[in-house]
Amino acid sequence: MDAPLEQRLEALRGRIPEVAPTAAADDQRQGALVLDVREPVETAQGYPQRAQLLPRGMIELQAASLPADRDAPIRVICATGVRSLLAADTLAAMGYRDVASITGGFDAWRAAGLPVARPASTAPARDRYQRQLMLPEVGAAGQERLAAARVLIVGAGGLGSPAALYLAGAGVGTIGLVDDDRVELSNLHRQPLHTEAGVGTPKVESARSALQARNAGIAVETHDCRLAAGTAAALVAGYDVVLDCSDNFAARYLLNDACVAAGTPLVQAAIHRFEGQLTVIHPAAGGPCYRCLYPEPPPAELAPSCGETGVLGVVPGHLGVLQAAEALKLVLGIGEPLIGRLLWTDLLTTRFRRLEVKTRADCPLCTQPRLEAIQS
Amino acid sequence: MSQVTVHIPSALRGFADGSSELAVEASSVREALDRIGERHELLLARILTRGGDLRPYVNIFLDERDIRSLDGLDTPTAGARELMVVPSVAGG
Repeated sequence: MDAPLEQRLEALRGRIPEVAPTAAADDQRQGALVLDVREPVETAQGYPQRAQLLPRGMIELQAASLPADRDAPIRVICATGVRSLLAADTLAAMGYRDVASITGGFDAWRAAGLPVARPASTAPARDRYQRQLMLPEVGAAGQERLAAARVLIVGAGGLGSPAALYLAGAGVGTIGLVDDDRVELSNLHRQPLHTEAGVGTPKVESARSALQARNAGIAVETHDCRLAAGTAAALVAGYDVVLDCSDNFAARYLLNDACVAAGTPLVQAAIHRFEGQLTVIHPAAGGPCYRCLYPEPPPAELAPSCGETGVLGVVPGHLGVLQAAEALKLVLGIGEPLIGRLLWTDLLTTRFRRLEVKTRADCPLCTQPRLEAIQS
Repeated sequence: MSQVTVHIPSALRGFADGSSELAVEASSVREALDRIGERHELLLARILTRGGDLRPYVNIFLDERDIRSLDGLDTPTAGARELMVVPSVAGG
């Protein structure tokens, strides 16, 4: 490195904050943008998950792709921490007030074991996703959005199985799974994530094996626990979309409350015998929440579980697939997510109804003004 | 007074002798429910409170529109074809 550059970097270090990769990843979970300023030939080998890719030389030219809010936190990364310092200086000159350079760059990010994504344009990904890349609604940009997406599935059973399999197949970069059950033989007729070999093992581990066997290029985060009042908010944090694939009212209300508070869209499905219900709860985008739909759960005798009433596998099966479809639409920003609508299905008569649902004026959650930004 | 078909959800069919649909003559949603109540008293008790309000775990849709966004139980049924009773369910 020549002397003038060394002096300039020394001067920059005096006024541009530097943060370790782990601290930057924490900031990212809190909403900071990680901006990777390396060249495409470098990022083709991998980049921090959910990072925006913008080569250093293109920052001014593609300024419109950066946050409009000059107070938005931006953590800049390159290969080793030099170009990121220069790029951070450029961003500061553009008016961004909360900019930091990540020390050690991508090498240090990877060495710290932080999540890494690979662009869809690499050859194996191109082959794998060929049929959906052809769709103008997806394309390379959409595939990158899927790769950067983090989707949490609560319940790895009848609904969660098909949902997780299709999301993994589509290349959703990180799938989180919450379930504290173990696989039982009586699960297998409706839960294609699990196999006879997995009977007795934790469902999240059985599911992880199935999902990684389908797509080794994604990350699967397992939470072998039951959703509880004290943990719901922490579980939901850091995910872009949540799928309610649970089987009880307590979990449904907990998830609703946590997702509404976080401003995170919640794709919810539930079944009873041959009937199903599906909706996307996203008050931040204008729809009602679960408490608007049903302010209170029914008494226990009116709401028996599948274990008490029986269930044919295809009923949660088709609803889980629809949940995956809604999640993909939300991540890709395409179509009309089922916000403000409740899809009611009956597989015995093959009847589907798209019912209108609205926010309740007396809903304890939705009457509070929601300032959270809509997550894309 | 016109005929409307009331769809009974599977969760409540046990209170309607297993019927999935009941055709009734009525001029409002409340009247349609009253007609059903005459035949299946226990079913009506699962849909309405003793005070005659909709229970907080049941929604009613008239031709796919939530009656809460119309005139509630007083919504006229003239010209409508289908009244759907949809209770909260939780299975997965």
